[in-house]
Amino acid sequence: MKISTIEYFVTESISSMRRNSLMSVASLVTVALSLLILGLFVILVMNLTHMATTLESQVQISVYLQDELKELEVREIGTRITKLPGVTKVTFVGKAEALTRFKQRLGEQQGLLAALGDSNPLPNAFEVRVDKPERVKQVATAASQIKGVETTRFGQEVVEQLFNLTKTIRIFGLVLIVFLGLAALFIIVNTIRITVFARRREINIMKYVGATDWFIRWPFLIEGMLLGFVGALISVLILTQIYSMATAQIYETLAFLPLIPKYPFIHYVDVFILVVGTLIGAMGSFISVKKFLKV
Amino acid sequence: MVPLIQMTEVSKVFADGFVALADITIEIPKGEFAFVVGPSGAGKSTLIKLLFREDVPTSGRIIVNGRDLASLSPLDVPYFRRSLGIVFQDFRLLPDKNAYENVAFAMRVIEASRRDIQRRVKFVLDLVGLLPKARIYPAQLSGGEQQRVAIARAIVNNPSVVIADEPTGNLDPDNSWEIMKIFERINKVGTTILMATHDKPIVDQMMKRVIAIENGRIVRDESRGAYGYED
Repeated sequence: MKISTIEYFVTESISSMRRNSLMSVASLVTVALSLLILGLFVILVMNLTHMATTLESQVQISVYLQDELKELEVREIGTRITKLPGVTKVTFVGKAEALTRFKQRLGEQQGLLAALGDSNPLPNAFEVRVDKPERVKQVATAASQIKGVETTRFGQEVVEQLFNLTKTIRIFGLVLIVFLGLAALFIIVNTIRITVFARRREINIMKYVGATDWFIRWPFLIEGMLLGFVGALISVLILTQIYSMATAQIYETLAFLPLIPKYPFIHYVDVFILVVGTLIGAMGSFISVKKFLKV
Repeated sequence: MVPLIQMTEVSKVFADGFVALADITIEIPKGEFAFVVGPSGAGKSTLIKLLFREDVPTSGRIIVNGRDLASLSPLDVPYFRRSLGIVFQDFRLLPDKNAYENVAFAMRVIEASRRDIQRRVKFVLDLVGLLPKARIYPAQLSGGEQQRVAIARAIVNNPSVVIADEPTGNLDPDNSWEIMKIFERINKVGTTILMATHDKPIVDQMMKRVIAIENGRIVRDESRGAYGYED
């Protein structure tokens, strides 16, 4: 393809957008909005997944021991837990320490514990960490079968709930994304169709003088891709702004929430949105021009 | 010598069963000037559409410029059409482009170089006598002038054959003669011309080959014929 031809394509598509400015603006806004919501969902889902994975990897297993075990037996249990596959760290938390921690957690309400008098109902325990999140359940089960172990507990409910939530949002988001993608596609198809319709005589003449289908198609494809790209660009700018503000806000107030750091994550999302926008634009044009090429 | 246009037993039957063309066999040698005449609805336009491959025949063989149109893939059609020049009754100029741009357009779509476009467009506009009006838009040109721009566009890519469908249909006699003189000039330099027309005075006076079609069949084919209808 010649440079002068490419030049011709680009000027054609820009002048076409200018002629059709109202509709072009309408499709820009629609594309930008659709992609903005799409981007927000991508960010939300990825952050929730990140959170769930982070929490899961931080999960530790508490192994509670039966009362009245001899110190030797306790040590023996500790050794056996250490030898379980995947275990990276085993810490002993004695009755007394457990009570201290409990008091700390109660804070101002620790007066409640006065009712216990001198007795300490909390058991001796081991805190166990494993190398991979998938091992948590397996290690917990194995540890609970060791003689002298009363019960084991880990944060499975929290993690599972988080994963379930992520799954629900992902499905909901996917449906919404498909829907919004179609809406953006539809509006681009219509915008380009108006342009194509306005220039159907020109297309007709082009066919008669021997223009190839691709030669006729390119200006419209460029127009659609530009609309998609610029729409995506608008949504990317807003999206980046939103994520900056959201992360800043959350770090200040809910610092324990493990968010994906802004960079380079937001760049990946931006590139994704730009590519999706441009593709939707190209697809929309392709669909609109198809009908008018049959001469 | 192989004729430039060769139609062998060509028939066209439309989906509703209407027989537009039946058993048409024509040979048009290179450099010939031929009229296709006949009443409205006789099949002239269908014949022309088959020749530039806007439509395909139901049966029979069409060879134009050594190319068998049946074996032409959709991808080849544009390249085939570059060997033809097509002129319509309604000119089909682009209103937002001036005379020069309308002609240059035909060269741009086949990706000619800028220099070739400038040189060649000026040449053909001069040939049809419109070089002084190169910057004028179609709306400001008379019907005859518009058709001359259309002819310039048809020949700008040096086609071996010009196919014209009622080129004088919208013009008064004076303008029609102007147009015919241009066609004759083009024909003299070796371009084959096939023209469907209703214009009795022109056909009668030009004394060229006349192919008459009625109800989709060839009823007459004379090498120096007259129009032969009273309409």
